[in-house]
Amino acid sequence: MNMADRNPADFPVDVILYPGHDKAIRQVLAELAQKCPVEFLLLAGVSGQPIAFEGDKRDTNLSALGALLAGDLAASQEIARLTDQYQSYQMILREGRLSTIFLSEAGPFMVLFARVDHEVPLGWARMLILETCRQLADIASARPDELKSLDLGLHEKDLSSLIGESLDSIWSG
Amino acid sequence: MQINWQLRELNLKIVYYGPALSGKTTNLEQIHARVDPTHRSDLISLKTHEDRTLFFDFLELELGRINNLTPKIHLYTVPGQSYYEASRKLVLRGADGVVFVADSSPEFMHANKVAWGDMNIHLASHGIALEGLPVVLQCNKQDLVYAVDPQTMKNLLNLYNIPTVSAVALRGEGVLDTLKLITKGVLTHLQQQQVYA
Repeated sequence: MNMADRNPADFPVDVILYPGHDKAIRQVLAELAQKCPVEFLLLAGVSGQPIAFEGDKRDTNLSALGALLAGDLAASQEIARLTDQYQSYQMILREGRLSTIFLSEAGPFMVLFARVDHEVPLGWARMLILETCRQLADIASARPDELKSLDLGLHEKDLSSLIGESLDSIWSG
Repeated sequence: MQINWQLRELNLKIVYYGPALSGKTTNLEQIHARVDPTHRSDLISLKTHEDRTLFFDFLELELGRINNLTPKIHLYTVPGQSYYEASRKLVLRGADGVVFVADSSPEFMHANKVAWGDMNIHLASHGIALEGLPVVLQCNKQDLVYAVDPQTMKNLLNLYNIPTVSAVALRGEGVLDTLKLITKGVLTHLQQQQVYA
């Protein structure tokens, strides 16, 4: 079976973004925001962690939105699977009074949320968003050149205890 | 898990799993109530009209800079009611660690066992082997008069090498210990796997 036709539930969901990825992702999002135009974009991992945003986020809690997007997409994928209708880059559309919301897979590991003014033609927005999602998937799957120079400090032996101390410090008892 | 090298951000997903009414949402409510508001998100709950978890609860903890790294912990619960089997499976997707919240009432031992078995099946469907996943067993409601003690519960569930916490989540007892233990387990696992390299 072609990778693109597989349900993302079959993939591992670790998303590792390197500095080169980050820059390219932001550029692609900025281009979409300008070209469509899009009011607000949020790219998140399929487990819900926000990756990048573009545009007017107002007072939206990105972490909460990311978690809900992941849940929404996962439910939609499962519905498609149960009814034998799954296809890659599936999109969910919500028409509102002032804005239209698009929620689309961006490859197997990411989901893109886009809030578009209701005056933007749906077909135009849909085409551009899908194109962007394919670009984003390509970016995330590219192997970076900078691997050897990167160090997150995760090998530190005392990291667990430092995080334990941090949890203690934010806990009011 | 998600790593963003540019932001030096490590995002971890921890799922609270267990039978209906065992105290999964209570754990998150206690964490939400006791953690400094500047270090946590709002508690998001997708509930039914009867105030039961419909899809999941969600809470994010931000620990600040540690060793030039910003860890963020994303906590989820699953709906416990048997009707929401499919939703439980979805929430487990991408989990870096699981807290199994067991109910210590004697009459709940069968429900604990069934939930544990179902969790294993769901994890396997996501390609996650239980042996490779950090898990903490929280024996909740230990304040009940006839509460089954944690060691007996471990024996009943055939869980011998899993870290266990005795808890009364409603009073916040054992909640932080559980969170620290699972976070430590996830980080140790991550370091052993060296998936970030």
